[in-house]
Amino acid sequence: MRLRSSSDRDTQYIGLKLGKLLSSGDTVFLTGGLGSGKTTLVKGIAGAFGINETDITSASFTIIAEHEGTVPFYHIDLYRLDDLNAIDDIGLYEYIGADGVTIIEWADKLQGTEIAIVTVDLEYISENEREITIEGVDEQSWNNL
Amino acid sequence: MKSDSNSLILAIDTSCDDTSAAVIRDGRSVLSSIVYGQGEIHSLYGGVVPEAASRRHTEMIWPTVKLALEQSNTEFSQLSAIAVCCGPGLIGCLIVGTSFAKAMAYASNLPLIGVNHLEGHICSVFLTHEPVFPHISLIVSGGHTSLYLARAMGAYEEIGRTRDDAAGEAYDKVAKMLGLDYPGGPLIDKLAKNGNPKAVNFPRALIKGTLDFSFSGLKTSVRNHLLLNSNISTEDICASFQAAVIDTIITKLLWAAEIHGINTLTISGGVAANEGLRQRLLSLKNMRILMPPKEHCTDNAAMIGLVGDYYFRQGAVSALTLNPKACLPLTANCG
Repeated sequence: MRLRSSSDRDTQYIGLKLGKLLSSGDTVFLTGGLGSGKTTLVKGIAGAFGINETDITSASFTIIAEHEGTVPFYHIDLYRLDDLNAIDDIGLYEYIGADGVTIIEWADKLQGTEIAIVTVDLEYISENEREITIEGVDEQSWNNL
Repeated sequence: MKSDSNSLILAIDTSCDDTSAAVIRDGRSVLSSIVYGQGEIHSLYGGVVPEAASRRHTEMIWPTVKLALEQSNTEFSQLSAIAVCCGPGLIGCLIVGTSFAKAMAYASNLPLIGVNHLEGHICSVFLTHEPVFPHISLIVSGGHTSLYLARAMGAYEEIGRTRDDAAGEAYDKVAKMLGLDYPGGPLIDKLAKNGNPKAVNFPRALIKGTLDFSFSGLKTSVRNHLLLNSNISTEDICASFQAAVIDTIITKLLWAAEIHGINTLTISGGVAANEGLRQRLLSLKNMRILMPPKEHCTDNAAMIGLVGDYYFRQGAVSALTLNPKACLPLTANCG
């Protein structure tokens, strides 16, 4: 499913809709370059679990940020980890399919060693526009939201 | 609880990638302050790798504490209490420091004082200046960009914070785009001196009606600029980026001062060591600016000792069940 966002708000709203289709145990992989809107999308997804968008900030520094929403919400950012050993060291694999919703930014750093049913790729088009490609969600459920 | 005028505090901080220990007398005199950095390990990854950092803390905690005691000619038996940072920070790293401090406190029968890392930063300026309240305090580092209204020791109100990236994180990400080493902040600061701050007009996110910050848009803007203009000098990018960060920080500080009618400003955290930012702050008129020396801006245990001493005198001792927390607001206790 290919969507167009023309603002931060759009991206956040797409995240919120995606969040509504997720439940505990789900993992989402996010890919897209710096500034493509990954954290903005996570703010939206988190909103579906009762988490205040202002509580979601970049996780690049801490790598794993845990939030208490209606289900445990794990926001993971692999930006700074370039080799699989370093990723293994942070205990990432314990969060995939864990009791809660796990969102992983820079999932391409996993080099295909793990898979998620839901993947989202964000592509920078112009200053305000992004193309957001979502795979693994039922298009009919999406349209019924 | 004894609250004699002479106190000797051993302080420990392992919240991120520096293993640090200090001995503080009477909450003011820094008898020793050891900071064992791990920069060389983490520069390989362009940032701190939590598990590697925890392992290094485990190896370095005892040598660091031992050196802090030796340099201050202090014996364990002379100590009044042990203060330790219990959050916020990287959980695996915090556990090393708190476990060590708990074991030492138990074995030497000393009071244990858990200290919030952010309170340490806010008070770091009082290692070298007389305490002044109320004041507006900005903590600006790789993990934080937050504004506080500090009314008194222990009484802080968060009045602004970043909505996305911390300022120090924007520095590190821009440095990586430019192919510079980690940590990027000091390198950009240095290169900026030889660049034109007006070469590129990067956006200043001055969200109206709030003291919150946002640096994500600036990061994206630098990225775009680099994609579209391959021939611009690195120095000019650094200078223009730094000008945007500093303008934003200064503007928000002045807004905070005006809104709250307070003209004393303090800054702390790693980015507070930025030369460009320090110079701009000092040029402000009608403002009283208090800045810690650079070695007190980055993580250190001396600031933990200062705050620990205050709580020790208040009789606010932590239980040996003290648990570190990765997310720990300034108003919350470690428990």
